[in-house]
Amino acid sequence: MENTRNVLDFFQNIVEKEPEVSAAVAAIRTLMHILETFGDRTLRGLSEELRKATEEMKTADCSITSVQSGCELFQRFITLTGALDQSNIKECKDIMKERGEIFLRKLQETRPKIAKLGAPFILDGQKILTHSKSRVVLQTLREAALTSKKRFHVFITESYPDRSGALMRDELLKLNISSTLILDSAMGYVMESVDLVLVGAEGVVESGGIINKVGTYTMALCAKEMHKPFYVLAESFKFVRLYPLNQRDLPQELKFSSSTIKSGSNLLDQHPQVDYTPPGYITLLFTDLGILTPSAVSDELIKLYL
Amino acid sequence: MPSLESEIDGIIETFTNNLKQRKFKGSRDLALNSVQLWKKIIGQMKWQNARELMDAIKQIGKDLAETSPSETVIGNMTRRMLKIVRDEYAMLQKGKQEDSDLQESLQKILTADEVDFDYIENIPLLKPAIMEHIGEFLTELESSEIDISVQALEHIHANEIIMTIGYSKTVFAFLKTAAKDRAFQVIVAECAPFYHGHKLAADLAEARISATLIPDSAIFAMMARVNKVIIGTHSVMANGGLKAVCGTHTLALAAKHYSVPFVVCAPMFKLCPEYVCSLDQDGFNQFASPEEVLSNDEGMLVSRVNVYNPIFDYVPPELVTLFISNTGGNAPSYIYRLLSELYHPLDVLL
Repeated sequence: MENTRNVLDFFQNIVEKEPEVSAAVAAIRTLMHILETFGDRTLRGLSEELRKATEEMKTADCSITSVQSGCELFQRFITLTGALDQSNIKECKDIMKERGEIFLRKLQETRPKIAKLGAPFILDGQKILTHSKSRVVLQTLREAALTSKKRFHVFITESYPDRSGALMRDELLKLNISSTLILDSAMGYVMESVDLVLVGAEGVVESGGIINKVGTYTMALCAKEMHKPFYVLAESFKFVRLYPLNQRDLPQELKFSSSTIKSGSNLLDQHPQVDYTPPGYITLLFTDLGILTPSAVSDELIKLYL
Repeated sequence: MPSLESEIDGIIETFTNNLKQRKFKGSRDLALNSVQLWKKIIGQMKWQNARELMDAIKQIGKDLAETSPSETVIGNMTRRMLKIVRDEYAMLQKGKQEDSDLQESLQKILTADEVDFDYIENIPLLKPAIMEHIGEFLTELESSEIDISVQALEHIHANEIIMTIGYSKTVFAFLKTAAKDRAFQVIVAECAPFYHGHKLAADLAEARISATLIPDSAIFAMMARVNKVIIGTHSVMANGGLKAVCGTHTLALAAKHYSVPFVVCAPMFKLCPEYVCSLDQDGFNQFASPEEVLSNDEGMLVSRVNVYNPIFDYVPPELVTLFISNTGGNAPSYIYRLLSELYHPLDVLL
């Protein structure tokens, strides 16, 4: 029990102290930490420990979809390294550690890559609509404004209940990018005046659809109706093995925070934190693997997990 | 005696001059000529290893592309050459590489296998291997029109009414092949102000295919009775959208309205790995002289109005039903997959 408390603290420490780090990367780093501190015991024990840690991290109050995709990727990473072929646990651990560091380093490079791909799609004088706060959207806007010297205007939805849109606006102000904070309910009102929609994602599912902060689906519907391109920016470690067909299909632990679920209150009375946007509403996905159409996402996942 | 370098420069200059004077007839002719140019360059140039060769190809390719930025075929052919060099190098280097391993993928991030080749080994067999591969590619280019038209009978049925726009050699060959076995009717939109449709209608009539010529403004009115729209295109963009002759978007929207299948004949060399954002008309379109729209004879009027004469239309992928390429039929959502097989991801940005 002592140990699991530590896991959660370690994870939450990263999430709180390093706001630049995505929840998926924080989860992977936590699992790496477990791997390093794990004594020279059996592999069976190690995998049990990792499984427990994953469960533990899912109780944190942050994007659970990202945690899930990060942990799934890490599990896959362990099987793919070939470390399990080693006869003794010490060698096996050494290989994993070494590979793990390369792996983490590659994860750091993903966001600048996406920003480079996405920036050319922003043209001078355009108006852009974004939802809530996304690190990768912010970086792409920064790349377009500072490196490519484009001038554009950003509309940001306030994004209740946590008003994360306001934080996004503060960041844009720091970068001297002109922006307007709008009401969530004004999405339809501004849609006719914007040229494109840029959103991040907490998870990209097998169909090529996305799971993101509640309100994203509404925005996608509005954009489709008004024939505006709807672009998603997401790192490939957010690809998650889920195939939701509709909103009801999303697992409860993704929709509600763990504290809400634990409190035992009637979930019908609670607000969902995320929604699912089907692939038909997404124009393109910008990932570190390149610019993908939604149908290319399943290809990537099959390559990895088959 | 001219040095080797100046000789190569000479070949390139002849090519760019021809390009500027628009001496190439259609994009297949351009593709063939540019591959033949590459064959000569690669054959005559001195290079120690694949890396040197690839750098040279990239440099020359860039210059060629800048001569005529809207001809995507030139860039495509440069990328194909780079891909051929990469493939042959990988094949000779222990034959260990498969296509899929070259792709950037989640798997690669995980396994951390550095498959990055440095391409610096000097392999004597490389040059003949590359030349042979280019030769095969040329044959593929030459037969692409026939390969597309043999599929005609699968798509055109007896007594159907087909609509098309402007003049496309591929479409003409396609219709002609189908006409050998089936009787059908073709409606041709004339495609003002260049009126390439007139030529198609005349050619069809000569081939004894029943043809009806209509003005572009009648496309919507005629669409209700059409069974299928079959068109050619200038290039296919990475998202499955089209860069096609101006008027195609109108045609596509009319087809969508009446739920008429919209079929595009496009050989593989027209697949372009670039994305276009439909709002970026400056980087995408080309404008012809307004003379055909408003003649200079109308002196007074010309000075008072703005006249635009764009050549291309962007057609979004959701309006396209099917692509027919020399390798078979594909849906627009599958284009990304074909592209990843055709070009190496590192070569997309030249």
